[in-house]
Amino acid sequence: MDWGLLLCFSCSVIKGLRKNGWLVREESGVTGVWSKCLILLAHKKEYESLYMSHIWIPSSWCSPTEGPECDITDDVTATVPYNLRVRATVGAQTSAWSTLQHPFNRNSTILTPPVMEVTKDGFHLIIKLEDLGPQFEFLVAYWRREPGAKEHVKVVKSRGIPVHLGTMEPGAAYCVKVRTFVKAIGRHSPFSQAECVKVQGETLPLALALFAFVGFMLILVVVPVSVWKMGRLLRYSCCPVVVLPDTLKITNSPQKLISCRREEVEACATAVLSSEEPFKAWI
Amino acid sequence: MKAPCVSLWLVAAVFFLCSVRARGLRRCLISMDLHHIEEAFQEIKKTIQAKDPFQNVTILSTSETLHRIKPLDVCCMTKNLLAFYVDKVFKDHQELNPQILRKISSIANSFLYMQKALRQCQEQRQCHCRDEATNATRIIHSNYDQLEAPSAAIKSLGELDVFLAWIDKNHQGTSAA
Repeated sequence: MDWGLLLCFSCSVIKGLRKNGWLVREESGVTGVWSKCLILLAHKKEYESLYMSHIWIPSSWCSPTEGPECDITDDVTATVPYNLRVRATVGAQTSAWSTLQHPFNRNSTILTPPVMEVTKDGFHLIIKLEDLGPQFEFLVAYWRREPGAKEHVKVVKSRGIPVHLGTMEPGAAYCVKVRTFVKAIGRHSPFSQAECVKVQGETLPLALALFAFVGFMLILVVVPVSVWKMGRLLRYSCCPVVVLPDTLKITNSPQKLISCRREEVEACATAVLSSEEPFKAWI
Repeated sequence: MKAPCVSLWLVAAVFFLCSVRARGLRRCLISMDLHHIEEAFQEIKKTIQAKDPFQNVTILSTSETLHRIKPLDVCCMTKNLLAFYVDKVFKDHQELNPQILRKISSIANSFLYMQKALRQCQEQRQCHCRDEATNATRIIHSNYDQLEAPSAAIKSLGELDVFLAWIDKNHQGTSAA
């Protein structure tokens, strides 16, 4: 018998479950042999065992597969006992079928809490959970860390996407814990360890608010004054108003001024003639 | 004056007891995620229904058989129809396509699980079969027997969406058994 094939199957044991999922795994004491093996996996569920004992159904993704692990979650779709069998093929040689010692029922799965990341975005409490697949839901409990605080529970179905839990009050600490729930088998995992975050107090925001208020008031006063000042400057620059002294102000109409001037001239002329007569008489 | 009051009180008490019993029966019903069964069926529905040689005949929906089932009879009817599919339909259908076989196997095994859940109710005598449910079941079996087994089986498989929708409607909002 081909040494590789012997190793493929001499130690083959099918393990039906792993943490939070269902995997088939071949065990062998020697690594590097699996590249030569082609694994064929088939399953027989309770219905087939009861009604059609000769029928084995090939696995969706694991027939064929190159070992040593394969995900059979898509095959394990009912909460009934499953019998699995596997064999290896190397070239033209095929091993005998190897079957599970005890049938596997998915409700024997041991669930564990998911990996959780708790962060804060300002005053918002954010949680991010690992993606375990579409069968998994998460029960998230969060509370304000103080005696007698009420615990809030939220069901989270989104996978790998940050979820907003709630808004925190300034200066308070909040804690979060989570557990896995698989509706298909009606089982929960235990709750995870609680993780807590604290939000900073109000002093900084108050100072900021005060500063902002003062700045706003300043702007409210400075802007109108500046606008008024600029307006005055522009008026003086573009359209100045000339202020005449009183002595240059013309109070009468121009005609009157001319007639007045004629009278003055005649008076002057008269005055001049009267001074010329003696000169003529002298001459 | 006392007699009318007493009779009114008796009627009210009977009505109350009947509603409690009805609610008890409804609460006895299975609560499981039908979504994955519906998904599995949707993937093979077109292929299965295309193979049905008698498209103008129905097995489940004669004269709205299922829709006339009253809440008191839902548990019994569910039990009978699950048995109908598990003991008759899936056995009589021979599927060669491995992908379709996989989906039918998934549905069949899910039905087995639902039967086990209902069996608990039966043991507690909370799934009594009245004449209405028994007659409706008889009609369905009679419709099935009028066709040859392979044709009847493929037709019943094609009508799984009717059965699943009926289960979903009647078991909605019930607590787990």
